[in-house]
Amino acid sequence: MSAVDRPDSTPARPFEPALTTGLDEKETTAPVVVTGGKDARKVLSAHQRNRRWKDFGWAMLYMFPALVIFVIFTFLPFFQSIYLSFFVTDQAGVPVRFNDVKYYSRILNLDGSGRDEYLKSVLITIQFSLMVVPLGIAASVALAVLATAKVRAIGIFRTIFTSSVAISVASASVIWALIYNPSVKATKWLVDLLNLKTQGLLLDSATALPAVAFMTIWTALGFNFIITLAGIQAIPQDLYESGKIDGANNWNAFRYLTLPLLTPTLLFLFIISTISCFQAFTQFNVLIANEGPNGSTNVMVYNLFTAFFKDTRYGFASSIAVMLFMVVLVLTLIQYRVLDRKVHYQ
Amino acid sequence: MSAEVSRRPDEVHSSSYQVMEVARKVGVYFLLLLASLIVLFPILFSLSLALQGSTLAPSLIPDFSKLDFSSFGQAFAQEPNLGRWIINSFVVSLTVTLGQLVTSALAAYALATLEFPGKNIFFMVFLATLMIPWEATVIPNYLTIARDLGWKDSYQGLIVPFLATGFGIFLLRQYFMTIPKDLYEAAVIDGCGRTRYLWSILLPLSRPALGTLAVYAFLNTYNQYYWPLLITDSSVWRTTQVGITAFRQTEAAIFNLQMAGTLIVMLPTLLLLIIGQRQLVRGLTAGALKG
Repeated sequence: MSAVDRPDSTPARPFEPALTTGLDEKETTAPVVVTGGKDARKVLSAHQRNRRWKDFGWAMLYMFPALVIFVIFTFLPFFQSIYLSFFVTDQAGVPVRFNDVKYYSRILNLDGSGRDEYLKSVLITIQFSLMVVPLGIAASVALAVLATAKVRAIGIFRTIFTSSVAISVASASVIWALIYNPSVKATKWLVDLLNLKTQGLLLDSATALPAVAFMTIWTALGFNFIITLAGIQAIPQDLYESGKIDGANNWNAFRYLTLPLLTPTLLFLFIISTISCFQAFTQFNVLIANEGPNGSTNVMVYNLFTAFFKDTRYGFASSIAVMLFMVVLVLTLIQYRVLDRKVHYQ
Repeated sequence: MSAEVSRRPDEVHSSSYQVMEVARKVGVYFLLLLASLIVLFPILFSLSLALQGSTLAPSLIPDFSKLDFSSFGQAFAQEPNLGRWIINSFVVSLTVTLGQLVTSALAAYALATLEFPGKNIFFMVFLATLMIPWEATVIPNYLTIARDLGWKDSYQGLIVPFLATGFGIFLLRQYFMTIPKDLYEAAVIDGCGRTRYLWSILLPLSRPALGTLAVYAFLNTYNQYYWPLLITDSSVWRTTQVGITAFRQTEAAIFNLQMAGTLIVMLPTLLLLIIGQRQLVRGLTAGALKG
């Protein structure tokens, strides 16, 4: 699908096209020389070329503020991060000694030292994603299906289901810290049920990561709900009508219509949620504030924070950052693939 | 979706059908209320604790006969900087929002309306910014701002790195492209300058997109945590999000003040959700790209 016909094809949701952000941009900008056929283009070419270069000056002027910010705070630092990751730095962040790829082999435990705490941290991050992502998506599908009920005041319920997007992870963490606080006894029944040694879910190495994961599912619920509901609402209603005529009940309609047609949305959510799990930091810093009981919640971004901010090992921290970037990049590229499929799907 | 599908037309108005309909609606409302209760639990929990006075062992449900609203005022007395944190957050969020609107509108205008050599390359450059996650740039940025520029504990340190956004550029470009190019051609032929066209014609026509970007930018900036944590040392320069987590540590045992303070800093974004829900939902659906 080209970006040219997108905007007017879905007037109700003019913003949705941003999801497919011009990957096929070349097709859309090439035929913009619109004045007639080949002959007309030849006649106008001198004048037009002149205008294109004049517009180039203006375009540079208009893009200048954004470009300056991006060069200083996105592109240069990105390459500096890669550069720093090959060096040992001093306390002020100045590279002092070339270190080759030692930091990388250290993280992946390829240096033969047998100390696997960084590799373990990678595994903890994956574990965390596996706890958060499937449950989070399942919960949002349940909420979104519920929110399509045709009853009065459904708008109020939709606002309620959306509410967690407005609450920062930091504020939510302060609240959840008290929910998990043993002296408030909010989770006492759960502790009794699991027969734990300690009252605090965050203090036990078996429950600390699941507790943070559960809280993370809640913080992401509003966003996941919005995306899932939009996905369900995009399914043409006449499909349900014909399903009804064929005798499908509600469950069958959900199982054989909603779910298959929602797959692209869910795949998209899967990638986005996984990326945000790999980037999660705030809840770990507020709820746990260290590497967790027996290091059980020491995710990669927290490791990065420790190396960077507490230990001022900028080179080593940069190598963790670069590895995180690679993970996010791979996931982002898969995401584009998924979105492509979504476009062809319907 | 109605409950019964394979029903003969003559049965539709029968009383048993009406009873089924009522039962179905009651069931749906029950599920909706139950789900709302679960989703709202943390907010209700914090409200409950905030209203129970300074007890060390609060219960989940407060005693409604003696609710204590004094905690909201006390939070400001206990933490004199709370007001300052709110001001900081608003100054930073509003400036970043305005800055992103300006830089995004200008860049999007160039990409959507003007024809110039190398346009695709610039487009790819802006696209690339969306591929680079914050943790891949945060260390050099910290060194630049804190060490080289000496902008720790300052508004410029909190604001300047966020004055441009790839997401905003794409959002506005997408919207600008829906506005017919003929309008631009006609305006230019009539002697309207390029900048004047942007300001007097394109921007007024693009209010929905600008609203979406504004709400999205404000929410994201207000809720920032990592960067303000790095870049602020002294208490007066904290933003609400860093402040409230620090407040939690200093007032570890005073549950009602902790929760009252948290509710106070959550209030602006909760109001924004209620007022600007349409824009917010649009922004999040589109901004999903950024992750």
